Amino acid sequence: MTNTLHRQGTPESLARDFIIFLHPARGINRDGVAEKTKRFLRMALEEGPVNVGGQGLNLYTADNVELLIGNINDESSTIAATFSDPEAIRRLVARLKKADFGISVNISGPADIVDDILRSQGIVRHSIEFSLGVLGRTERLPTRQVLELTTMCGHGMVSHNHARKMIDQVKLGKLTARQAARYLARPCVCGAFNLDRAEELLAKAVEMA
Amino acid sequence: MKIDQNKCVGCGNCVPVCSMGVISVVGGKSRVNEEECVECNTCYRTLRNEGYNPTLVRLLRWTLKQFHLAYDPPPDVCPTGALTPPRLEWPRSLRAEFSDPTIKHSTTGTGGRGTSEIKSNDVTGRLQAGDIGLVAELGRPGLGARFRDLEKVAKALAAAGVRFEANNPVTYLMTDKSTGTLRQDVLNEKVMSAIIECRTDLAHLPEVLAALRRAAGEIETVISAGIAARCNADGSVPFADLVRESGFTLSPNAKTNLGLGRPLYEERQALASAVAGRD
Repeated sequence: MTNTLHRQGTPESLARDFIIFLHPARGINRDGVAEKTKRFLRMALEEGPVNVGGQGLNLYTADNVELLIGNINDESSTIAATFSDPEAIRRLVARLKKADFGISVNISGPADIVDDILRSQGIVRHSIEFSLGVLGRTERLPTRQVLELTTMCGHGMVSHNHARKMIDQVKLGKLTARQAARYLARPCVCGAFNLDRAEELLAKAVEMA
Repeated sequence: MKIDQNKCVGCGNCVPVCSMGVISVVGGKSRVNEEECVECNTCYRTLRNEGYNPTLVRLLRWTLKQFHLAYDPPPDVCPTGALTPPRLEWPRSLRAEFSDPTIKHSTTGTGGRGTSEIKSNDVTGRLQAGDIGLVAELGRPGLGARFRDLEKVAKALAAAGVRFEANNPVTYLMTDKSTGTLRQDVLNEKVMSAIIECRTDLAHLPEVLAALRRAAGEIETVISAGIAARCNADGSVPFADLVRESGFTLSPNAKTNLGLGRPLYEERQALASAVAGRD
């Protein structure tokens, strides 16, 4: 999930953007992880995520979330849940600590807010990874407005042109910001695309037009 | 990606969803610039196949046009299922392995772009106190990268003394891990992005970051760079000051490993020591 590391945006916007996932280690604690992952996903769903994903499906491409859960096995790719509400993350962390799955848990989000949440649950973070930004031919990149949308899919499945088209469709009144956000969420197979945040960014793009 | 020219009705829905912007409508049909396509399959996965008969759709479009109306399908469909992921041969197969997150790498047997990094560091102990993990993802966001640029950056980092992560798919393509040299037959292949993962220590971090910055000036794409470490016992970040002094800025957001994995690396080491002592 380096795919969740390089999300761009203002601190205010990123403060409502969290991705949480379990990550088993092959040869150490991967055997039997499927049932734990399913329990994790059900817990996450009870806390109101804006997206979930894994196994090539997300909340907006799976016919229903039970299909996604049913496909989980010990060899499954990482299953992630995306939230806008830090309090939902706090509740989920408390539940995961109590459940004691013994599988590594990671959260991508604002470092200070995540640290506060962990300390409130008596957890001292173990390891951390930060983005150092973008180097090289940055003049080839699109506007910040576009990048704030597309970097929510770190695998690059949401194209710059798709974001531009959806911004235009909202400006023209052909789609609502929510509808456009749903279309943008489809290509992101990991479920890391934050629909609430995309809706806000699209609405803001129209205001600025 | 292959677009069946007999089925394509030129609706253009695949044009904006193309991750590399290399599909265009020419002569009323979508065409892919194969040289620039990274075989990510995003168009195929994202656009639902409506399975309509192409002849009927063309007739409908023609009829509507006579009344100055346009056929405007929803933006998430391919009306006739004209998109087909092709069977790829080496080295082009690397494009799909590095670009489509649903495909596993033939070299490492894992999916995604890189390795577990710090995601299971609490149980693997991959990064110990004093170790620094560095990731340089070329092509991200959204530009793509050729392996010839990856080699330039890998060589620069190797010269700065880094150790490349063994199970990373880019490392698998190296013919010499001490110099960062890649296989010559892959250099012209283009991928959505690829991650060089390496390790250094706090003492060498400024030199490695300087090498990364220099190398970034010599390539045709962008690098999304990241840095990772095990936190100090109080949860503080060991590299924060060094990064700042090196002219870089840490992002406000980060990926945090909570340390809830079991058995912890230290527990496994203690157990292994106890077993060794008993023997």
